[in-house]
Amino acid sequence: MAEEEDDPGFDEDLDDGGNGVDSGQGKRKRLFSKELRCMMYGFGDDQNPYTESVDILEDLVIEFITEMTHKAMSIGRQGRVQVEDIVFLIRKDPRKFARVKDLLTMNEELKKTLKAFDEANYGS
Amino acid sequence: MADPARVRPEAGRPEPGEGSCSSTSSEPAAKPRSAAAAEEEEEEGSSSLHPSPAKKLKMEHDKKKEKRQKVDEDEIQKMQVLVSSFSEEQLNRYEMYRRSAFPKAAIKRLIQSITGSSVSQNVVIAMSGISKVFTGEIVEEALDVCEKWGDKPPLQPKHMREAVRRLRSREQSPNTKHKHILFH
Repeated sequence: MAEEEDDPGFDEDLDDGGNGVDSGQGKRKRLFSKELRCMMYGFGDDQNPYTESVDILEDLVIEFITEMTHKAMSIGRQGRVQVEDIVFLIRKDPRKFARVKDLLTMNEELKKTLKAFDEANYGS
Repeated sequence: MADPARVRPEAGRPEPGEGSCSSTSSEPAAKPRSAAAAEEEEEEGSSSLHPSPAKKLKMEHDKKKEKRQKVDEDEIQKMQVLVSSFSEEQLNRYEMYRRSAFPKAAIKRLIQSITGSSVSQNVVIAMSGISKVFTGEIVEEALDVCEKWGDKPPLQPKHMREAVRRLRSREQSPNTKHKHILFH
């Protein structure tokens, strides 16, 4: 990734695991650069967002996922992440809660439809 | 989102009137409910004034379901009208908004590297969905900050940082600085 504006001091911050906001994640490869750019455009940013902004967002998302995962592991069944735990953690945030419910419902419907389709195809 | 083909056409049912945007079941409006109640009780064939609790629950559930489907139908129609009047740039942006998603494989790998054990597909689906909403919240807040400070897009890191600070103070974003999470 061509990041001309990064100063070399970033690579020192390998011990900073949790707070990815002020310092970069160091040498970690960028996981979501392309998708994040499309997403930022979709949400209202410019068609070509700044690389630094994309980096900050990626760090934030990874921090968010990490935190959710840790919390989910500590409630319900210990050491495992299950959907019910995620739904429980999200219950206070209306947008995310609604989104998760929609996604899971759609997924169930899809599975049911595909299953019915398969059974119709391959005999009674 | 309901499938329009699934909805039974009900002639003579009054329109709800308000175009509420929530697709989760919200409080049903009073007007359509009483009309529905009259219809339902006739259909059930029970002449008693007090249907059994089980029947009552079923009737309530059916009423709510129909109301939700009606609201979904309205919403779908309104969205169609809106999207048909988009300019090309807006269409582009809308397409990106709908289609962009986090790669499931990377999310799965990330979660599994944290838990050390495998996770089900539903977890990955849920987590990707929530993450997308999360980035949406940040980008929208950052755009607000950008506009408030008199700057223009593209967004700069200072806008993003201010957006995160605001979301954290409103507790919409996880903040590990003040909460200490104990886990084994």
